[in-house]
Amino acid sequence: MMRTNKNDAPRKALGLYLHIPFCIRKCNYCDFLSFSGIPQDEQKAYFRSLLHEMKVYHEIYSNKYYVDSIFIGGGTPSLADEGLIRELLTAVRDDFTVAPDVEISIETNPKTLTKNKLNTYMEAGINRLSIGAQSFDDELLSTLGRAHSTADFFMNYSLARECGFRNINIDLMFAIPGQTMKTWIDTLEKAIGLEPEHISFYSLQLEEGTPFFSMSEEGSLKMVEDELDRDMYHGGVKLLKNTGYQHYEISNAAKEGYSCRHNLKYWSMEDYLGLGLGAHSFMDGIRFSNGTDLKGYGNIGHVDAFPTRDSFMQWEHRNTEEESISEYLFTGLRKIRGIDLADFSKRFGADLESVYGETLDKHLRSGLIQIESGRLRFTKKGIDLSNTVLADFV
Amino acid sequence: MNSYQQYIRNFCIIAHIDHGKSTLADRIIENTGLVSHREMKEQFLDNMELERERGITIKLQTTRLVYKAKNGHEYIFNLIDTPGHVDFTYEVSRSLAACEGAILIVDATQGVEAQTLANVYLALDEDLEILPVINKIDLASARPEEAILEIEDIIGIDAHGAPLISAKEGIGIEEVLEAIVERIPAPTGDAGGKLKALIFDSYYDNYRGVVIYTRVFNGKIKKGDMIRLMNTKKKYEVTEVGVYSPGPMPVSELSAGNVGYVCASIKQVADARVGDTITLDSDPTEEAMPGYKKVQPMVFCGIYPAGNEKYENVKDALEKLQVNDAAFLFEPETSTALGFGFRCGFLGLLHMEIIVERLEREFDLGIITTSPSVIYKVVMNDGSEEMIQNPSNLPSLIEIDHIQEPIVKADIMLPKEYVGSIMEICQDRRGKLLHMEYITETRVSLHYEMPLNEVIYDFFDALKSKTRGYGSLDYEFIRYEKSNVVKLDILLNKELVDAFSMIVHESKAYYRGRFVCEKLKEIIPPHQFEVPIQASIGQKVIARETVKAYRKDVLAKCYGGDISRKRKLLEKQKEGKKRMRQFGSVEVPQEAFTAVLKYDENK
Repeated sequence: MMRTNKNDAPRKALGLYLHIPFCIRKCNYCDFLSFSGIPQDEQKAYFRSLLHEMKVYHEIYSNKYYVDSIFIGGGTPSLADEGLIRELLTAVRDDFTVAPDVEISIETNPKTLTKNKLNTYMEAGINRLSIGAQSFDDELLSTLGRAHSTADFFMNYSLARECGFRNINIDLMFAIPGQTMKTWIDTLEKAIGLEPEHISFYSLQLEEGTPFFSMSEEGSLKMVEDELDRDMYHGGVKLLKNTGYQHYEISNAAKEGYSCRHNLKYWSMEDYLGLGLGAHSFMDGIRFSNGTDLKGYGNIGHVDAFPTRDSFMQWEHRNTEEESISEYLFTGLRKIRGIDLADFSKRFGADLESVYGETLDKHLRSGLIQIESGRLRFTKKGIDLSNTVLADFV
Repeated sequence: MNSYQQYIRNFCIIAHIDHGKSTLADRIIENTGLVSHREMKEQFLDNMELERERGITIKLQTTRLVYKAKNGHEYIFNLIDTPGHVDFTYEVSRSLAACEGAILIVDATQGVEAQTLANVYLALDEDLEILPVINKIDLASARPEEAILEIEDIIGIDAHGAPLISAKEGIGIEEVLEAIVERIPAPTGDAGGKLKALIFDSYYDNYRGVVIYTRVFNGKIKKGDMIRLMNTKKKYEVTEVGVYSPGPMPVSELSAGNVGYVCASIKQVADARVGDTITLDSDPTEEAMPGYKKVQPMVFCGIYPAGNEKYENVKDALEKLQVNDAAFLFEPETSTALGFGFRCGFLGLLHMEIIVERLEREFDLGIITTSPSVIYKVVMNDGSEEMIQNPSNLPSLIEIDHIQEPIVKADIMLPKEYVGSIMEICQDRRGKLLHMEYITETRVSLHYEMPLNEVIYDFFDALKSKTRGYGSLDYEFIRYEKSNVVKLDILLNKELVDAFSMIVHESKAYYRGRFVCEKLKEIIPPHQFEVPIQASIGQKVIARETVKAYRKDVLAKCYGGDISRKRKLLEKQKEGKKRMRQFGSVEVPQEAFTAVLKYDENK
C-alpha cells in the first residue's frame, strides 16, 4: 500500500496496459488486434483518443490507485513515433500517481529501433524492453512472415544495451513449421548467450482467421507434431534452468528478480486497466473491454468533446464468486509455483478441497497436479495437458 | 342399403411419400367448405411436428366433410388418412378396411413406387374401388401419360380419364370430388342389426382417455352402451360418440356405414387395438371383423439416459409414448456400460427413428440408443427355444445348437440404371434374388429374400443414396431360418462395452468389426493414455485400432489480459466433455453410438 497524504485512504497497486495496434505487416500466425499500413495522421488520432481515455479513467481511479507497472503492448508500439510514446507516458504521470520503482515495458520489433528512439524511451522512463526476435533462423522468420532478419535483431539488441537498457526480454517462438529440435536449441542458446534478463518462449499456435490457419486447412502448411512441440518445450526449459534462469510462468523465464511484474498481475488476479483498442481490464472484480473498431476509436476525440467511459467500453462483466474462483485457478496455475492454498481460503472463505474435492482428487491421482508445501501446481506432465485440468475447474 | 347411406362416401388416399397425399387432403377439406383456407394449417391431417418435417404421416387422422355435388345432393365424405411407411403396413390395412374406395395418387414426375404398389395391393385385398389421380402436372418434368400407362401396366386397373391435378396449385380438385361421388360405392350394412364396428385407429387424450376411431359396419353405437372388444375381450361403457369435422363433435349415435369416434374411459391404446371389433356386450355379433393381428415389434434397441439426463424422465416419456402407440414396447434393462435404461421394441427402423426423435425433440431428452437388433430364435442343445433380442443376452455358445434369424421378403422398385449397384448391395447383404421384372421400359422391380438383420442396419440409407432417392422399398416378414450368426463385441481399453455388442453374420463379422473400430477411432478423442479399440468374437480379436495418447493440451499465449477468451475456450472444452460418456477410463462422445450404424458410401 502507498499513501501520498496522511489523510488519504491507502491506495491499491494498478497495472496499466496501453495498446498500440500498429504493425509493419501482419505476421502469418498473428490474430492479435493490430493493423499494418496505418498512416501517420491516423496513428496520431489514435494516440489522441488514448489520452482522452486516460482522462476518463483518471476521474474514476486516480484517487484509489497508484501505478506500479505500465506495459505498452501491440502490435508493434516501437513502430509509432517515439514522441507520441513520450507524450503518452507524460500523460500517465500527470493523470496517475506512479510508484518510484515502476516497471515500464514496451514491446518492440527488430528493425524498428534506432538510437534516437531508444534514448527517447529511456528519457520517458521506459526501463524494460521486450524484443520480438522469435527465431534466429532466417528461413523460419520468413515462414512466419516476420519483417526482420536475424541480423536486424542482433544490431537492435546491442544498440539497446548501449543506450543503457538493463532489463531486456527476448521473445522467442518454437514449434514453427519446418523447425527442428536442433534449430530451436540453437536459437535458444544464442539468446541465452546474450544474457537477457528475461526470455519468453511461446509454442506457435494455429489461430482461426490467420494465413497459417487457411494454409494448414488446405494442407500446404504442416504444423509440428505435438510430440516434437513438447520435446522442444521441455528441452528449452531445461536449458534455461541450467543457465541461471528461473522458469516462473508456463512460457516465461527470467534471471533472479526480473520476472515481469505486469504479466504476473494477470496471473494473480490483481487489478489492471487496459487502455486503447480492444484492451481488457480487471478492476475491483469487474472485467471489461474496449471496442475493436480502429477508425471508431480514433474518432472518439473528434466526435465527442467530453467522452465518457461508455465511449470506449464495449463489454463489462462482474465476476460471480464462482467465476472468480475458477479464474483464480486457471490464471494462478500458469505460474510454475502455482497457487497458495492458504491465500485461496482467505480470499474465498473456503478450502480448495471443499470446492473442487472430486475434480482435485482425480487430477492429483492422474499426476497432472500436485500439492507441495501448501501450494497447488502443475507437474511437468500437467503443464502439457493443463487445459484438460483447467476445463474441469471452470 | 339404408337411404341415408347413399350419401356417404368412406375413402382414403394412397400415395408414396412426397407424392402429395397431405396436400390433396388439404385441398379436399378446403373445397368442401368446412374449413376456410385461412383457418387451415398447411397439411391439415399431419399434425405432428415431426410428420410435417418429414412429410410423412405416422398417425392416422380422420375427418368428416360435407360436399355439395353437381347433382344437387349433399354428401358426407369420411376421409380416412393412412400412414405412409413400410413399418405401418398393418395399420394401413385396417384403415383401408374401413373404406369403400381409395384415391391413388401417382406423382406425374415419378411414376408408381414400391410403397404405392404395396398399399394398392392392400386396397385391392379389401375390394376397394381404386380412383387413380395424377398429381403434380404443373411441374415441367411431369409425364402424365407415362404415369397413366404405368398404373395400367403395373396395377392393372383402368386409369384412362384419371383426373390430372396439381394439389399444390389447386388444379383439378373439383374433378376429384365428383369422381368420389360417382365412382366410390356407398357403404352398406344394417343399422338395425347387431353392432359390429372396426377399430382402425386410436389415440390417447388427457381428458377423455383413449379415443377410438371406428367404422360401423352393422348396427349402431351410442352413449351409454356397454360395449365389448371382441379380441381383447374387455368391456367398457361408452361415454361419448362423435365425428371429427374437423374438431371433435359429439353426435347421438353412429350407425352402420358411418365413421366416427368412440370414448369409453379406456386407459391406454393397447387396450383398444387397431383391428379389433366393437360389439354390444348384451347383444354381440357372432363374427368379429376379419384381419385382426396383434402387432409384434420386429426391431429392438436399448434407450439410455445420456449425460445428466434422469432415468425417470426417460421412463415418463416412454410411458407417454406407449399410451398412444400399441406397437411400441419397452421394459427396463441394465447395461454395464450405460447403466439403467430400457429395451425398446419397434415395428421397424423408421418407427424406431421416429420414437427416438420424438424423445429428443418433443420431450427434450438426452438419450443414447444402442445398435438395433432383430429377434433371434436360439435353439438350445436340449431342443428348447429362446427368443433373444438383446445381443448381451445370447447364451454361451456351448449351450446353443443353432441360431435362427428372421427373413423378410423385400420388394424394391427403382429406375433401371441403378439395378446393378442395388443388386450388389442386396447380394452384399445376403439377399437371395427371387425374381426381377421390368415394370416399364425404365423401371424395374426386384424381389429379394433377405435377413431382416441386414435390412435394419443401413440398407434403406444405402438404397436411397445409391439411387439418388428414386429407389423405394417394402418388406414383410416371412420366416425364421437357420443362420451362422455370431456375437461381435467391442472392447475399449481392454474392457467390453456391452452397448456396442451386436449379432452379425459370420461372413460380415470381420468387415463390421473393422468398420466399427475405424469409426470409433475417428470419434474417440485422444486421452492421456493410448486407447486400444478391439472387435472380438468370443476371445478372438478380429480387428484393432488405437487412439494415440495426446501429448499437448495447453494454451501458451496470453492476450494482453484477455481472461474472458481463455474462459470461453475452457468452457467450450468442458461442454465437449459433458457430451462424453465414461466407459471405464475411456470417454466416448455420444455420437459414437449412432455413427457406428451410419451407412458410409465410401465403404
